[in-house]
Amino acid sequence: MKKKTNIRVTIYKQRYLFIMLLPGLLWFIIFKYLTYGGLFLAFTDYGFRAKVSFVGIKNFQRLFQSAVFWNAFRNTIIISLCNIIFYFPIPLIVALMINELKSLTAKRSVQFLIYIPYFFSWVIVGAIFANILSPSSGVVNNILAAFGVEPVYFFASTKWFRAILIVSYIWRQMGYGAVIYVATLSTVDPQLYEAAAIDGCGRWKQMWHITLPSIKSTIITMLMLNLSHVLKIFEQVQVMYNSSVYSVSDVLQTYAYREGVLSGNIAYSTAVSLLVGIVSLILVLGTNQFSKKLLDDSIL
Amino acid sequence: MKIKESKSRMLFRIVNVIILALICAVVILPIWNVIVTSFAEDKDVMGNAYLLWPRSLTLKNYLRVFKSGYMKGFVNSLYVAVAGTALSMLFTIPLGYALSQKQLLFRRQIMRIVTLTMVFDAGLMPLYVLVKSLGLINSTWSLIWPFAISTFNLIIVKNFMTSIPESLIESSKLDGCNDIMVLTKIVIPLSVPILSAVMLFYFVGYWNRYTEVVMFINSNEKYTLQVMLRAIVFQGDGSMGDGNIVYNNIKMAVMMLGMLPVLIIYPFVQRHFVSGLMLGGVKE
Repeated sequence: MKKKTNIRVTIYKQRYLFIMLLPGLLWFIIFKYLTYGGLFLAFTDYGFRAKVSFVGIKNFQRLFQSAVFWNAFRNTIIISLCNIIFYFPIPLIVALMINELKSLTAKRSVQFLIYIPYFFSWVIVGAIFANILSPSSGVVNNILAAFGVEPVYFFASTKWFRAILIVSYIWRQMGYGAVIYVATLSTVDPQLYEAAAIDGCGRWKQMWHITLPSIKSTIITMLMLNLSHVLKIFEQVQVMYNSSVYSVSDVLQTYAYREGVLSGNIAYSTAVSLLVGIVSLILVLGTNQFSKKLLDDSIL
Repeated sequence: MKIKESKSRMLFRIVNVIILALICAVVILPIWNVIVTSFAEDKDVMGNAYLLWPRSLTLKNYLRVFKSGYMKGFVNSLYVAVAGTALSMLFTIPLGYALSQKQLLFRRQIMRIVTLTMVFDAGLMPLYVLVKSLGLINSTWSLIWPFAISTFNLIIVKNFMTSIPESLIESSKLDGCNDIMVLTKIVIPLSVPILSAVMLFYFVGYWNRYTEVVMFINSNEKYTLQVMLRAIVFQGDGSMGDGNIVYNNIKMAVMMLGMLPVLIIYPFVQRHFVSGLMLGGVKE
C-alpha cells in the first residue's frame, strides 16, 4: 500500500518529465512500433485483393524459389563485402595519417574538406560520378581517349558498375569515418607514447602497441555499424543503377522496392524486408557478443 | 644514428603530406568542377570539356534555373527541411532531457524501447502502409512525420545532457525551477554545440531524402529538388520547359542548388564536430 502511494508521489513529482517524455514516446510507438506490427503483412496476401487473408509462409516459399531473389542476395553480399574490405580500413588509415600532421590548422582543414561529401545525397554523389565517367565529356574517358582507348559507358557496364558503387561509397563516407577516428585518437594519453619511446619503441611499434589497442573499441563499433548496414545497402543503388546493370547491382532492398512499390506486391516485399531486418539484427547482436567476449567491452 | 632516424622521419612526413593532399584533391576537384561548370557559357561545355579552370563566368545558367520548375522543387525541399528540422528539435530535446534524468521512473525500460529501433528496422513497405493508413500519401507531412526523431540523434543529445553536472540542475530546482524551466534556462544554453550539430544532421536528412519522396509523393507539384535532380541527371529529362537541350552547365547549376544549403550551414557547425560526437551516440 505504502509503495503504491510512493509511486504516485514520484509520478507527481516527475509530472513535468512525463509531459516532456510523452510526445516523443508516442512518436516511437506510432512510427516505429506500429511498423513492426505491419511486418505481419509478410504472412498475408496484402496488396492485390480487397480482402486480406492469412497465407502463412507462402511468401517466403516463393521468395526462396525466386531466381531474382537469389541474384539480389548474391549481389548484396558481394557489394557489401567489397564495401567492408575496401572501405573499412581507409578511414582508419586516413585518420592515422591526419594524426601525424604537425600543424593543427592542417589537421582541421583536412578533416573539414574530406567530411564535405558525407553531406551530399546519393543523387548528388551519383550525379558527380556520372559526370566524371560520362562517355562523352567525362574526365576518365578523356584520359582513356588520350591512350587510344574507346570510350567506356561505365554506368551501363556490367563489368564496371560494382566498382563505381564501391568507389563512390568510399568517396562519400571516408571523411565521416576518419573524423570519428581522429577524435578518438586525440583521447589517447600522450604519456603512453613518451613511456614507449623511453623503452625504445619506434613509431611503428608505438602505433601497433599503443595507438591501435587504445582505439580498438571504436574500431569494433565502426565494424558493427558497417555490418548492421550490410544487407541494407539501398538508396545508393536505387539512385545510380539502371536496367542494363540489374544483373550485377540489383540488391535485396531494390528488389523489395520494385516488388512492393512498382508491382504493388506489398506482402511479398514485406517478407523480403522482414528477412533483411532479422538477419541484420543477428549480425549486430553477434558482433556485440563478439566484442563482449573478446574485448570485455559491450557496444550496445 | 639520431640524424639518420630524423631523416627517414622527414621523408615519412613529406610522403604523408603528399598523400593527404592527393586525397583532398580527389574529394574537392569533382565538387570544384560542378561549381566551375555551373558558371560556364554553353559554348564552353559543348563537346568533351571537363572544366577545372573557369573559361567563362556567367550567371545565365542560374537565371534560367531560377525561372524553371526546379525553383519549385527547391522551395519544396527547403520547406520540408526547415519545418521538419524544427519539429524534430521540438521532439528530440524534451525527450532527450527526460531520458537524461537518472531519477526518471521506468527510465531503463523506455531506453530499451528507444534503442531497439536502432538495431531493428521494419523496412519500407510497413512504413508505406502506415503512411497510407494515416492518410498522408501525397502530403508534405509524409516527408516530415515519419522522420521526426532519429534515434541516433536522440541518443547523442541524451548522452550530452547526462554529462551536465547534476549539482547544477539540483541547485536550480532548490531555487524553485521545475523541469521545464531547468531545460529552457540551463540545459539548452549549455547544449548549444551539440544541438547545432544535431540540427545540421536533421536538416541534411530531410534535404537529401529521395526514396521516400518518390514513394509517398505522386504529384509533380510537391516533388523535392532531389527527385527532380535525379530525373535531369539519370533520365535525361530536359524539363527546362523551353524545348532546348540541357547542357552540363544547366545540370550543374541545378546540382549547386541541391548542395547549397548544406554547404552554407556546414562551416558554421563544423567546429562542434569534435570529441567523438557521433560515437557517443552508440554507446549507452
